Amino acid sequence: MSQNDLPPHAHEHPRQKHGLIGKRLPLVDAWRKAAGQAVYTDDIHLPGELVGKILRSPHAHAKILSIDTSEALAMDGVHCTLIGKEAPNSFGVLPVSQDETALAVDKVIYLGENLAAVAADTEEIALEALSRIKVEYEVLDSFLDMEQSCREISDDLKIHSKVVGNTNIHKEVHQDFGDVDKAIAEAAWTKTQRFLMPGVTHAFTEPMCTLAWFNADERLTLWSAQQVPHYLQRALAKVLEMDMHRIRVVRPTVGGGFGGKSDPFPHEMVAALLSRKCKKPVRILFDREEVFYSNHGRHPSKIQMTLAIDKDHKISGMDLDCLIDGGASGSFGVVTTYYNGVLANGPYRLPNFRYHGRRVYSNRPPSGAMRGHGAVNTRFAYEVLIDEACADLGEDPRDFRLNNALEAYTKTINEFRITTNGVVECIERATEAAGWKDKFGKLPHGHGIGMACGFYISGSALPIHWDGIPQSTVHLKIDIDGGVTIHSLAAEIGQGSDTMLAQIVADVLGLPIHYCRVFSEDTDTAPLDLGSYSSRVTFMAGNAARMAAENMRKLLVAAAADLTGYPSEHFVMEEAQVVNATMPEVRVDYMEALKRAMKDCGALQSSGAYQAPPMGGKFKGAAAGLSPTYSFQSFVVELSVDPLTCKPKLHEIWAAHDCGRALNPLAVEAQIEGSVHMGLGQVLCESFDYNKANVLNPNFLDYRTLSPTETPAIHPILVETMDPEGPFGAKECGEGPLLPILPAVANALHDAIGIRFYEMPITADKIYRAVQKQKKLARRNLVQG
Amino acid sequence: MKSTGKRILKLSINGTVHECAAEPQALLLDVLRNELGLFGTKRGCDMGTCGCCNVLVDGQVQMSCLLLAHDMTGKEIETIEGLFDVGDPRGLHPLQRAWAEHGGSQCGFCTPGFVMTAKALLTEEPDPSEERIREALSGNVCRCTGYKKIVEAVQSAAAEIRS
Amino acid sequence: MILPTFELHQPSSLAELRAICTGLETTGESYDFMAGGTDVLPNYKNRINARSHVISLSKLEGCNTIAVDRIGALASLTDIARHPELGRHYPGLVEAAGQVSSPPLRNMGTLGGNLLLDTRCYYLNQSEFWRASKGYCMKADGDVCLVVPQKEICYATYSGDLAPVLLTLDATLHFHDIHGQDEAAERSVPIREFYALDGIQRFHKAPGELLTAISIPENARQLRTGYHKLRVRDTIEYPVMGVAMALSSKAGKIERLELAVTGAEAIPIHYGDLGFTGRQIDDGCADELRAALCSRVQTYRNVPFPPSYRKAMAGEFAGDLLMKLGD
Repeated sequence: MSQNDLPPHAHEHPRQKHGLIGKRLPLVDAWRKAAGQAVYTDDIHLPGELVGKILRSPHAHAKILSIDTSEALAMDGVHCTLIGKEAPNSFGVLPVSQDETALAVDKVIYLGENLAAVAADTEEIALEALSRIKVEYEVLDSFLDMEQSCREISDDLKIHSKVVGNTNIHKEVHQDFGDVDKAIAEAAWTKTQRFLMPGVTHAFTEPMCTLAWFNADERLTLWSAQQVPHYLQRALAKVLEMDMHRIRVVRPTVGGGFGGKSDPFPHEMVAALLSRKCKKPVRILFDREEVFYSNHGRHPSKIQMTLAIDKDHKISGMDLDCLIDGGASGSFGVVTTYYNGVLANGPYRLPNFRYHGRRVYSNRPPSGAMRGHGAVNTRFAYEVLIDEACADLGEDPRDFRLNNALEAYTKTINEFRITTNGVVECIERATEAAGWKDKFGKLPHGHGIGMACGFYISGSALPIHWDGIPQSTVHLKIDIDGGVTIHSLAAEIGQGSDTMLAQIVADVLGLPIHYCRVFSEDTDTAPLDLGSYSSRVTFMAGNAARMAAENMRKLLVAAAADLTGYPSEHFVMEEAQVVNATMPEVRVDYMEALKRAMKDCGALQSSGAYQAPPMGGKFKGAAAGLSPTYSFQSFVVELSVDPLTCKPKLHEIWAAHDCGRALNPLAVEAQIEGSVHMGLGQVLCESFDYNKANVLNPNFLDYRTLSPTETPAIHPILVETMDPEGPFGAKECGEGPLLPILPAVANALHDAIGIRFYEMPITADKIYRAVQKQKKLARRNLVQG
Repeated sequence: MKSTGKRILKLSINGTVHECAAEPQALLLDVLRNELGLFGTKRGCDMGTCGCCNVLVDGQVQMSCLLLAHDMTGKEIETIEGLFDVGDPRGLHPLQRAWAEHGGSQCGFCTPGFVMTAKALLTEEPDPSEERIREALSGNVCRCTGYKKIVEAVQSAAAEIRS
Repeated sequence: MILPTFELHQPSSLAELRAICTGLETTGESYDFMAGGTDVLPNYKNRINARSHVISLSKLEGCNTIAVDRIGALASLTDIARHPELGRHYPGLVEAAGQVSSPPLRNMGTLGGNLLLDTRCYYLNQSEFWRASKGYCMKADGDVCLVVPQKEICYATYSGDLAPVLLTLDATLHFHDIHGQDEAAERSVPIREFYALDGIQRFHKAPGELLTAISIPENARQLRTGYHKLRVRDTIEYPVMGVAMALSSKAGKIERLELAVTGAEAIPIHYGDLGFTGRQIDDGCADELRAALCSRVQTYRNVPFPPSYRKAMAGEFAGDLLMKLGD
């Protein structure tokens, strides 16, 4: 495969001199946010709105025998109550896993599940009303560990009806490429290792909030902190049995998502149902504990990996088994099950690969998609084992990775189409900046340096719903004020997608960025976009925006040609003028060209769309992990271990990321730095802890995200490979940079103290215990020696 | 459920005295948001562990989710809405400007709490070290930025205010 | 999260406070004093032992002055942490104050609040919903301990940072008793006699007694003090092990040693010298001290970090403090 085999991309127009692409620009909403003026869902208030509150299940697994809401309903100030039987239609983000309901219908399947709801005048009344709802249960055996969910069970203990055989396994996947057994048998180095990762959650600062208003026009408007307004609109239509066009989803400013606001959620259904029932606006605002019950975070994982390295120190095979805990519902879990395996096919050549993946249902809060979806835990295992192999084989982990790096423009064994690939440059630049050669293996005991690489999709090539329509569409409108209105449904969740759209459109039209105003919050006005997940927005919505802007430019250039009599292909747009590139003195002011273009049709409109080209193999599950392009990373971490407490202290992090092209270096750095912070949390101190069925730490005191004092200096290194299909060469930067940080920390710990860790989080107590064991062994060896 | 009823109270917020009614157990955060429409102060964890609701009380940073509104009478409260700079076309305080220009906000939900905390710091220490900035901000949690650009924003604003 | 309904009282003087308390006691109503509110209000939000009356001390005049020998109970933790004279004489005290929670909560929290901090436990510091689903524990609404299933004693962990330091300094607590003769009446209790080993009772303080100040004996100034705190992050969190040491030594020999521990049992524990007075301070001595303290400390599985690690850290901290504070 070569660069020439790629589908033709929009040809390069004559470029303006002072473009916006590659400029370090503040995000378009930065001033509003700094002023405290950004409007989040809980900042919107409607006249006469009610407080919605949800009663939650105190049991992990139980049949609901009866629910009596009469006493609650009789209270002054209570407008209505709601139970699951009133809205039994199931929904879910994936068409294959429609297993969530607004409220539990026949049985409850996790502690904290939504069970009944009330709408009342005040929070006090609503809470009191909840306490007056009487529920009778028949408690069932609960499934609280993954192996238990794999066992044979009777039908009544199945958490959902659609499972693998007579178990609570939700999804099982087998893939086998090449001859793994042979690779292992002939390996110069091989090891089988088990890894354990508890669940982690997004921990966005803005708790979920939703405001529903079913009004007298029989139209429902739902304001909700969402990453994917479109899927929410679909789910609402199904649950409420309403036409989709009568449902308007509005996404106000979102206080962080990271995957945790990308499913349609039961509480959103509940707010809508309550509002329809009592004909008033209803708000549901979660407290922090409720956010933990909603979860949909990273799956707890048990991973067993066998890695084989041949005599030339080439990776020759991998046998991978992942058992992941999906909790009580499907969510994105079928995708997660695949991703845990298939995303091991980069950034190294892997000629033989076998994968067995299982996702189980359990009576836990649901797992779902979280930044680095599906790739994080397997990446940890892979990069730690590589480091271990290097130590045994006496090879520098940097050189080993360089020797094994995938080429650009190649195909992996599972038929991923690899195009641009900056992994070699990432490795070289990160290790160079870190002073790797002078430090690795040479720092004093207790002080270490480690590295790891990463590989991630830049948008899923195949959409969740197979409608055959573009995955991203962008509309532009320019009216007499000259402002360019950008309509898109790509959700701005803080990652800067509005800025990206504005920057691309302004660049193509040669306008200062303030001419652009982005309307990306409203399903009534925006053309379809599949939303902000799977790191797809820059690539897909960015391409759509570019096409829309190019189509708009044609109208303006034609008007300039009309006014001046020169051929339109001579014109470029720059600095708010339409300029004849061959005779720069021939130019038309933007506003003048605009008026001319509007002469016959009024406001100008244009459209652009993106759909991923066909790709991938024909085998079962071939679609999983396909992406129009992939991002690559290599990180180096330097740290030390506190001699007293064994607390790891991070010193510096060098984070090289192949982003294709940095459309806005400030925003790309921001994504890298944020990813590093989140990954550090998982490897060092975050975990979803349980005591039997109860989440032990459903709060920000005990679910610990790193504070400013523990977060080290992060040096982002932007590697640009100019992706031929990305908008101006760009690819993703929001998720891939999370992957390498976790194994890089584990590898640096090994360099510091000579101990491997296979369980996350690697907390001080685990390090201390391992160090004590190491000391004891050393003493024994000394005595025996 | 027995309610002792709302009582009138006067709060001095951003230099203006507001009279409102609140129950004895009302929290400052609730009164700011629900009674006075000052939505810039955010509700993050509601338990004193995230800093999204930080405001200044007599110049000192405190958490409005753990302050009783009635205890705030006679004190000067400052919220994000009170920050401004007449010399700036956007009306923004140097900290707010620096926050925008240096990428201190991504989702922005933690921003008001961080900015208020930073303001208290710079009032007391015009030229803090990076370590001191991180320590002063250590009651605030940001899930987006990794703090680097936040620290840079504070350093830049400090330099501007000093000059 | 809304608070449960309560009546709020805001006395501005001790006389007013006495009148309010007496009135409430006459009608048999329960009340809590609230200083900074950073401990009381989260517990109230979780509906843990909330009372129908709260007496806020925010308007109370006095009780917040800081001197080297006497510190008002309403002095803020920030003011203590930054007090230069205290820092000169009792660096361990200002270190401990400077490590409580996070900067904004130190601005709100007080010395008195920290000393009287309620005990903490995974099974207790949860919402009403959580505790109901688990089954209530004996400290709030239930009758059995969920950490060590029995009915005799609550094992929740004492989590104040200042008490261990003040235990090593042999401080005295001063209370105003609203039932006393007059406003000047004061009950003084040595801090070493104040705490009572039970997570529910916690200390010997009668209802109506208001902690107004602590005093530190002058001879404590000869001691070198230090405090080490264990928590997962460097901020926000409570100590899950804290060791305070006060030491005087001469020619490398221990003259006086005071050790105290927080973040372990239901109260802060004063261990005294553990028999190390007179010992030469060296690595061997530090090792023995590590082992001695480690074997004495009791920890339970009810706060972050495993009990064995927290115990080990008690020893490590003591050994480290000895080597640091020894001359």
